[in-house]
Amino acid sequence: MTQPKIAIDLILSKLAEDAEKARTRAEKASEVLLGPLETEIATTPCDVVYEEDRVKLKHYKPATKIQLKRPLLLVYALINRETMLDLQPGKSVVQNFLQEGIDLYMIDWGYPTRKDRYLTIDDHVNGYIDNAVDFILKKHNLDKINLMGICMGGTFCVIYSALHPEKVQNLVTTVTPTQFDTDQGLLHIWMKDMDVNQIVDTYGNIPGDIMNLAFLLLNPARLMIDKYVGFLENMDNKKFVENFVRMEKWIFDSPDVPGETFRQFVQDCYQKNLLIQNKMEIGGQCVDLKKITMPLLNYYGKYDHLVPPEACEAITSKVGSKDTENVCLDTGHIGIYVSSKCQKEFVPRIAQWLKERTADKKKRKTKKTSRKKSVAKKTATKTKPALKTKKNK
Amino acid sequence: MTDKSQEKIGPETFFADWMKMTTELWDPMAWMWSAFHKTTGMMPDSIKYGKRPRMQESWDTAQKTWQAFSQVMSEPETMETFLKGAGMLPEIFSKMAQTGSKTFVNFQKQWLERTGKLQESTKTYNYEDLKEDAFKAWTELYEKEFSKLFHIPQLGLTRFYQEKMLRSMDNFNIYQATLAEFLRLLFSPMEKSFQVLQEKLAELVDEGQLPEDSKAYYQMWIKILEGHYMTLLQSPEYTLALNKTLNAMSEFSEAKKEVLQDFLNMLHVPTHKEMDELYKEIYLLKKRIKDLEKKNKNPV
Repeated sequence: MTQPKIAIDLILSKLAEDAEKARTRAEKASEVLLGPLETEIATTPCDVVYEEDRVKLKHYKPATKIQLKRPLLLVYALINRETMLDLQPGKSVVQNFLQEGIDLYMIDWGYPTRKDRYLTIDDHVNGYIDNAVDFILKKHNLDKINLMGICMGGTFCVIYSALHPEKVQNLVTTVTPTQFDTDQGLLHIWMKDMDVNQIVDTYGNIPGDIMNLAFLLLNPARLMIDKYVGFLENMDNKKFVENFVRMEKWIFDSPDVPGETFRQFVQDCYQKNLLIQNKMEIGGQCVDLKKITMPLLNYYGKYDHLVPPEACEAITSKVGSKDTENVCLDTGHIGIYVSSKCQKEFVPRIAQWLKERTADKKKRKTKKTSRKKSVAKKTATKTKPALKTKKNK
Repeated sequence: MTDKSQEKIGPETFFADWMKMTTELWDPMAWMWSAFHKTTGMMPDSIKYGKRPRMQESWDTAQKTWQAFSQVMSEPETMETFLKGAGMLPEIFSKMAQTGSKTFVNFQKQWLERTGKLQESTKTYNYEDLKEDAFKAWTELYEKEFSKLFHIPQLGLTRFYQEKMLRSMDNFNIYQATLAEFLRLLFSPMEKSFQVLQEKLAELVDEGQLPEDSKAYYQMWIKILEGHYMTLLQSPEYTLALNKTLNAMSEFSEAKKEVLQDFLNMLHVPTHKEMDELYKEIYLLKKRIKDLEKKNKNPV
């Protein structure tokens, strides 16, 4: 007797098994979904120490002894909220920095309303960021702080550091687009032909929901189908459900983007690529990247579909600083901040980098040499997430 | 019957007599109206104050006009001219009817031509499967042919409001058409992925390697779907459809806003336009104050 081409009996028995599993899962899921769930985000204690219009400056309460006298100011993007950096206890970039003894500040951009539609990049960079920096400098009686930007916030930090180099000790950019002339990322392709004038003139501010829809359309199969199939498969797992809901809370918490800022960002950056060419003008001043003379650490994700590596890596070769480093992680846009694998590496490495640049020069040189060796080893064995590091010292 | 008497019963005298009779009928009516007021004592306020009532006044004027008209019409020469003209009436009516029917035929012809263009458009694209390009064809046809109807110049006092309303209706239709085209494009990977999955399954059946785990089928499908989406989303066709839809949505939104603004104005509710002007002024003032404060803190 020949073997049948379709093992119907096996398929059917597997199907019956799956149906039984699904039934058990559904029963457990109802207990999980109807029971108490811990889905709060951004729970790390902090004080709002400075407020200007809708913008707030948060100062986090130290978790351990402060090891760096210069505080670190985190600047998030205007798209989505900074709560992503503090999604859950034990998996929080904010908490990790506090554990490393960093005195941490973060800008909360708030929710722009229609009256904020005329705010430009100049107002955000030379206005809100500069005022927050001045506040911190005054409070700590310092002349410089450490600055770290995330995505669009990173672009703002690059602009700020070029315009106010005297106030920035070290600059850290993460998933930061600076070289916009690329066809690697879908956003870069779509933005090129977008009639941004018409959209801004019509809506005033760009609605967060429209932005979110655009982000979902970057990968509809995964973000609109597979993600929720994954949820259905794990909805009997309380921890999974809690984390999933936290992430959903963050993703769909989308403030509108001030219209004029959006217009300038799309036109000057996505469509004309002015920043990397030192041709972008902010508040009547030309942004010259050569004026970025402070050390620069640049992080990005190899599989980032929003800000592809090509959009991030060029900055280190364009700035005036000789102390620059590119670090490419084996992850995507958000994975850098939330994946367990990256959490182990990301913050400790930044903290270490900052501490090295605070120590005296002799110590730094010794550490740099040893780190170079270790990085080379890591890259060769590929056992760590760091895929590519480029130092320019 | 003499010739004179024969002349008297001709149409000219008939009309003159009819007019005389009519005048004689309406004259007492006017008298009755004033008599009614006097007898009943139900006098309008104007009479009480020594003025003639407005109704009475209008009646008298109309009657005077009628008397003058009937007098002129009673003259045999006038009546003769009138009757000559009346003899030409069938000819005038026939001309008018001809013009009307010509206009109707032309109008119908134009519509037939437009409908014909629908067929032309489908031929131009030459698609075998109607659903593939139907939305695109409809959008183009709408923009070329039907949109014109919403751009017919409006007349009269409310022409600006009518124009705005028509523009918003036109923009809504364009938005719906482009959205349908965009959604068709967006769902096309779904359709294609199922086709590819079926082909792949047929291959696996032939090779006797059909997976037993149902999840494997899903994984296979989602991978195919993702691949199709990646190809589509990077294509110039998709970018074009996306931008067209966004522009159409903005234009509709703008036109709708203009109509709404008119209503809000009528209700004395501040509109977005007015608020934006105010916001801009506040923004500029705040910026100026902040700059001055900074300069004051750090004088050069």
